[in-house]
Amino acid sequence: MNCGFCGKEIPAEIGPGMEKNSCGSCPGGCRKIHCPHCGYANPAPGKFLSKFLKKSEEKDKD
Amino acid sequence: MAEQQPRKIFLVGNPNVGKSVLFNVLTGAYTTVSNYPGTSVEISRGQCVISGRKYEILDTPGMYSIMPITEEERVAREILLKDNPHAVLHVIDARNIERMLPMTLQLIEAGLPVILVVNILDEAERLGMKFDLPRLQQRLGVPVIGTVMKRKQGLAELQQAIADCTTVPHKPFVYGSDLERDINRIVKLLHGEYRLSRRALTMLLLQKDDEITALVEQTEAQLVPGVTGSNLGAAVNAQSISADEAPLQNDFELLQARVREIAYNRRADLHLQINLERKKVCKQMLDGVVTQAQPGGVPFAEHLSRWTMNPWTGVPILLLVVYFGLYQFVGGFGAGTLVDFLEGSLFETYINPAVIHIAHKYLTANWLFELVAGEYGLWTLGIRYAVALVLPIVGTFFLIFSVLEDTGYFPRLAMLVDRLFKKIGLSGRAVIPIVLGFGCDTMATMVTRTLESTRERIISTILLALAIPCSAQLGVILGLLSAVPGALMVWMVFMLLIFLVIGFLAARLMPGEAPVFYMELPPMRLPQFRNVAVKTLTRMQSYFIEILPLFLVASVFLWAGKLTGVLEGLVGLLAPVVRAIGLPDQATTAFIFGFFRRDFGAAGLYDLQTSGLLSATQLTVAAVTLTLFVPCVAQFLMMKKERGFKVSLLIFIFVSVLAFASGWILNKFLLTTGLLL
Repeated sequence: MNCGFCGKEIPAEIGPGMEKNSCGSCPGGCRKIHCPHCGYANPAPGKFLSKFLKKSEEKDKD
Repeated sequence: MAEQQPRKIFLVGNPNVGKSVLFNVLTGAYTTVSNYPGTSVEISRGQCVISGRKYEILDTPGMYSIMPITEEERVAREILLKDNPHAVLHVIDARNIERMLPMTLQLIEAGLPVILVVNILDEAERLGMKFDLPRLQQRLGVPVIGTVMKRKQGLAELQQAIADCTTVPHKPFVYGSDLERDINRIVKLLHGEYRLSRRALTMLLLQKDDEITALVEQTEAQLVPGVTGSNLGAAVNAQSISADEAPLQNDFELLQARVREIAYNRRADLHLQINLERKKVCKQMLDGVVTQAQPGGVPFAEHLSRWTMNPWTGVPILLLVVYFGLYQFVGGFGAGTLVDFLEGSLFETYINPAVIHIAHKYLTANWLFELVAGEYGLWTLGIRYAVALVLPIVGTFFLIFSVLEDTGYFPRLAMLVDRLFKKIGLSGRAVIPIVLGFGCDTMATMVTRTLESTRERIISTILLALAIPCSAQLGVILGLLSAVPGALMVWMVFMLLIFLVIGFLAARLMPGEAPVFYMELPPMRLPQFRNVAVKTLTRMQSYFIEILPLFLVASVFLWAGKLTGVLEGLVGLLAPVVRAIGLPDQATTAFIFGFFRRDFGAAGLYDLQTSGLLSATQLTVAAVTLTLFVPCVAQFLMMKKERGFKVSLLIFIFVSVLAFASGWILNKFLLTTGLLL
C-alpha cells in the first residue's frame, strides 16, 4: 500500500503485528501501519477490506 | 571454448513504475524468484538474448533514493554496491519525471552505466505532457529511452541501447560552490577502490549514511593489513606504520573529522541541502524537456496544489475545509443528525428502556444492576457512549479525514503550516510530527526522534501533548462544539493562540537553529471511492476495538468508585478546581473520564450538554481545558520512552496546570466580554 501522507510505497512486510512496524506503546497491539519513510500512521485494513484496497492499487498501476 | 558469462542488467526505480512489466517483457517466462541472502526481500532473476549475446536481468526491489530507509532499498543498494553490471536501467514514470529524476542523477553520479527508461509515456501524453527526450539525453550524458512497456513500445530501442551500452566517465553535475568545495575536501581523502564513485560516496558520507561510513572505514583500513579504523590512531602512535604512510592511513579519522566540521560549519542538515541542490539541477535539466501541451497550460490539480500551500489562498481553503468538512458535516450531520437518531431515538426510546427493564427483572442485587444499567453501568455508560455518541461522530470525521488524505492535501497542509509557523521560530522538520499528530499523537511523539536537535524534539513533544488532539479526539470535540454557535470558533482561535504562544516561548527559551522543511509532494488527485471507504471503515473498526474495552473498564472503575465512595472523594477533591473554571460540579466526572482518554471525557461533556447542564461558555471552557490535557495513557508512555521519565513528568505537570489555567482565563474572558452569552 501507499502511504496516505508522503505517497511512498510501504513494503508488504510492514503491518500490524510486525515487529518493525509497532512503536509498542498502544496496549493490545498496534492496528496501524507506520510509514517507514515519514512515520505517518496509516489504517491497517483487515483481510477482507485489504482485498478492496489491493484492487484499487492494481487499477492505479494499470 | 567455455560459454561466455551472461552480462548483468539491473532494473532499478521507484515502486509502481513498470519495472516488473519491463522485466517480464525482457525475460519472458524464464525467471526465478528467490530471497536476497539474509533477508525476506524477494529478487527476480531472468535471462534474455539481445543481439546474439546473453544477459542476466535482475529486478531489484523498489527504491526512492540510493540512501536507503527500508530493507528493500537497502537490498537494492547492496546489489548496486557489490555487483558489476553491464547496464543499470533506471525506470521512471514519465508523469512524475521531476520527482524521479533526482535518483537518476544519483545513479549517474555513482558512476554506474545508467540507461534511463522513461516509461508510461502514453499516460503522460494523455495528460498533455510533451517530452524532448533527445535533449534530456544530451544533458544527462546517458541513453534515454521513452517507452510504454505494457504495449512493448520502445522495446527495440531499449534493446539496442543495452547492446551498445558502455561505461564512460561522466562529467559531474555541478552544485553550489559551497557544496562543491565540501565535496572536494572529502573526495581527496578517499584512497580505496570502490564500486561507486568517490563523489557519490562523499555525498552519502556527508548525509551520515552509516553503512557507507562503515564501508569506507573498512576499505581505507585495508590499505594497511591488520589496521582497522578504530586502531589507526594507536597504530600511528606505536609507529607500526611508516612515517610516509601515516598521513595516508590517518585519512579516515581525518575524513570523519572533516565531515563533522562541515556539518558543524553549515549548521544545517546536509541531507536536506544536497537534496535541494540536486532538485535544482533536475529543474535545469528538465527546462525545455517537458512541456505542458494542453490548452489550459498547467493542469488544475497543479494550480490547486499551489493554492493550498500559499498562505493567502491556503488559509481560506483551510477555513472552507474546516467549515464544510468539520463544522457542517461532522458537527451538523454526525453529531447532530446521526447522534440524534442513534442516541435520541434508538437508544433512549427503544434499547435503553428494554435493557433497563431486563436488568430490573433479572439483576435483583442493586450492585449488579448498577454495574450493568446504573449511572456508570457497562451498558448505560460504556456501550452507549461508544456506540451512540462517539462512533457516529468519529465515523463522519474519519470519512472527511480519509477524503482529504486521499487527495494528497495533508503534505500540502504541512507546507502551509511550516510557512505560517516560520514567524514564531517553529519552522523546520518539527512541522512533520506536529501535522502527523492529527492522525495519532503517540506515533507522532515517536517520530520526533527523527528531528536533529534536542530543542526541536522537546518543543514538538510539548506541543503534541498540549495542543494537538488526534483525529478521534478532534472529531468528538468538534462534534460536541458544533451544536453551539460560536463555540467552535472560540475553541479554534484559543487553541491556535495557545499553540502559537507556547511555541513562541519554547522557541525563545530554547534558542537554536530552525532548519528548512522539505518533503517531496505526492501528486494531488481526486479521492477514490474505494480507498476512502476502506480507510474510513478500517479507522472506525480500529477505533471501536481500541475504545470499547477502555470505555468498559472505565465504567467498571467508576462503578466501583461510586460503590466504595472513592469517586465521591475524588469529585470532592477536583470540584474546587472545576468550580474555579466556572463549571458545575457534575462536570468533574467528565474530567475524571478525560484522564482515561480525552474523547471519553468529551463524550461525558456531550451528555451534560444535551441534559442542559452546560451553558455555551461552560461548554467551550470545558472543551478547551479537556483538549489541553495529555491525550491518552499511550502517549504518556511514549513520552517517557522518548524523552525520559523526568522530562515527561515535567511536561505532564506543565500541561495539566496549563490546561486548567487556560480554562480559568478563558472563562473570565468569556464572562467579561459576554461573547458566547
